Amino acid sequence: MRETLEYTTVEGDKKQPAIVVFSLSTCGFCKRALVFLETNHFAYSYAHLDKITLDQKTAIKKELLDEFGTAVAFPFVIFDGKEALVGFVEEEWKKKLGIA
Amino acid sequence: MPEKTIEQTALFTRMVAEKQNWLVNPDKEFTDSLVEGLTVNFNRYGYYLCPCRDTEGSRELDADVLCPCTYSWQDIEEHGHCYCALFLSKKFAASGAQASGIADRRGS
Repeated sequence: MRETLEYTTVEGDKKQPAIVVFSLSTCGFCKRALVFLETNHFAYSYAHLDKITLDQKTAIKKELLDEFGTAVAFPFVIFDGKEALVGFVEEEWKKKLGIA
Repeated sequence: MPEKTIEQTALFTRMVAEKQNWLVNPDKEFTDSLVEGLTVNFNRYGYYLCPCRDTEGSRELDADVLCPCTYSWQDIEEHGHCYCALFLSKKFAASGAQASGIADRRGS
C-alpha cells in the first residue's frame, strides 16, 4: 500500500541507510527530523500522511503496524526497509545513523 | 465556519498557557510552525487538532487530542512539556532544556 504514496525525495551525500519518513505537514518534531537529516547530509524520502485520504492513511498505518509491530506516531522512520523508529529523539537518531 | 488566522491561533495558545500556568514554547521558530499547524488543522477539520496527531476522522474520535490534549497535564508533569511541545511547564522552561519527542499516551 505504501508503495502507492507520492514521496518527496531529498538528495544527500549519504545514501546509506535508505531512509523513508512518514510525517505530518503540521508537526514540529517531523519538521525537526527532516531538517536533522538534511543538515547531516542524508538522502531520504518522505510522505506527509495528513495529505492523503483517511482510508489510505488507515491502510498504511495498519500495514506499518503489522510489519514493524509498533503503533504509528509521527515522525515514523524506516531504515533500509527493516527497522523503524517512532518519534524524533535526536540522540536515538544519531545513534542509529552512527553520528558521534 | 470562519477560518482562523495565525494571529487568532497564537492568541488561543497564549490564553491556554496563561490559564493553565504553562508557557508557550519560547523556541519561536518551533512554536511558529506548531501555531501554523494548528491553524491548518482548524481550517481543515473545524477544530484545533494537535498538530502532531493525525485525525481519526471526526471531532468525536479526536476529542482526546483537541488542543490542549487530554494528555497534556500528565505529560507536562512528567516530561516538562506536552506531546507536541507547544506548552512547557515553567520549571522546564527555566531549565533551558530542549523539548524532545515523547511517547504518545494516546492509545497506550
